[in-house]
Amino acid sequence: MLNIKNLSVKVIDSDINILNKLNLEIGNGEVHAIMGPNGTGKSTLAKIIMGHYQYEVTNGSIKFNNKDITKLSVDERAKLGIFLSMQDPTVIDGVSNSEFIRTAQNEINGSKTNLYEFIKNMEFSLDDLKLDSNMIHRSINKDFSGGEKKKNEILQMKLLKPKFIILDELDSGLDVDSLKIVCKNINKYLKDNKECSILIITHYPRILEYIKPDYVHILKDGNIKKTGDMKLALEIEKNGYQIIGEENE
Amino acid sequence: MNNIIYLNGEEHKEFNLEEDTIIYHFSIDKSSDITINLNKEDITLYYYYNNINYNDNNYKIRVNHNKSNTKSFVYNHGVNVNNSKLHYWVDGYVPKKSNGCDCNQDNQIININDGNSKIWPNLLIDNFDVNANHAAYIGKFKEEDLFYIMSRGISRKKAYKLLLSGFLLNTDSIDKEKISDFVDEINKL
Repeated sequence: MLNIKNLSVKVIDSDINILNKLNLEIGNGEVHAIMGPNGTGKSTLAKIIMGHYQYEVTNGSIKFNNKDITKLSVDERAKLGIFLSMQDPTVIDGVSNSEFIRTAQNEINGSKTNLYEFIKNMEFSLDDLKLDSNMIHRSINKDFSGGEKKKNEILQMKLLKPKFIILDELDSGLDVDSLKIVCKNINKYLKDNKECSILIITHYPRILEYIKPDYVHILKDGNIKKTGDMKLALEIEKNGYQIIGEENE
Repeated sequence: MNNIIYLNGEEHKEFNLEEDTIIYHFSIDKSSDITINLNKEDITLYYYYNNINYNDNNYKIRVNHNKSNTKSFVYNHGVNVNNSKLHYWVDGYVPKKSNGCDCNQDNQIININDGNSKIWPNLLIDNFDVNANHAAYIGKFKEEDLFYIMSRGISRKKAYKLLLSGFLLNTDSIDKEKISDFVDEINKL
């Protein structure tokens, strides 16, 4: 599904290199996790897959279902089925959640979503996530708690039905109960969409107890230094990042 | 609130208020000069000014807290489409005789191109017992906001429209039927 080859990335208008010849292949239906110390490029990887404006690909390619997406715009990538659940979702005053999600559905599907279907699906999804139904009339993420913001990301995921999901530090800002609810929804989505793949970016293995990864990668200095399974995540939790041979940051 | 007033492009107006009031002011390419007197204790004013600008224009508003414990919340949002002048003078005045007032203003102008936009967010306070806030922003929509919207499959053009509409119709309580010309103008942007 996702094939990243020799990817080097720098911050636009600077000489700061973030990723350095990174390789990563994610197959259909696979769950991958990327762990690593602060400042090693985990979130940059998530953003560059989505096409963030602050970064520039200086080498290599990102292919999604064999299509090179390196030069595609952000919305074109989303229309192909890529979804980024953001670490710190943006607050947008004046634009309601319902207007936003409905516009996104119309754009992705290429046709106007039936209003009745939209409301019905929205109500089911709000209930699944234990979100107050009034939130759909509120401005995007405005005055939302940290947990509500993360749940709103997963609400959008459920309604936009992506093929590839990036979860960038989903567990930050979520209490234990909310994390369980959110992960339950993601697992249900995976069960209903067998081909869907996930890339989890996290500092801690706690989220991986709820969404089981097939592969765990350790990212350091802009490159994947080690790949394993859940045991590797638990080993990191126990011993820190020294196990990859360098001092923890 | 019982007293809700819609202004569609009125240029010069003075209000003497004695009850809680919301004023929605929509202006397309016009200068305006508004004075509001809060003449009864404990009353609250919400003022929402939204304007689309093409040529050189000035907007002046002055809120006089003539009585104690009066509150004002003034929100001024403008979109300057061309490279023309758009200047806001926003005065909140609390005289010495008025205690316990709450005087707030939030001003934003989005330049679509390279307009000459300026804001003077003045708080004229002659009393120690007051809560006063002012803010002013002139610039473009944030790239991070556009990125977020586009990351859900919405084109840059439509993302911009969503932001414009949200910026200029920034409260849920507006009766859009009363401002149909303004809504049509947003759709032309």
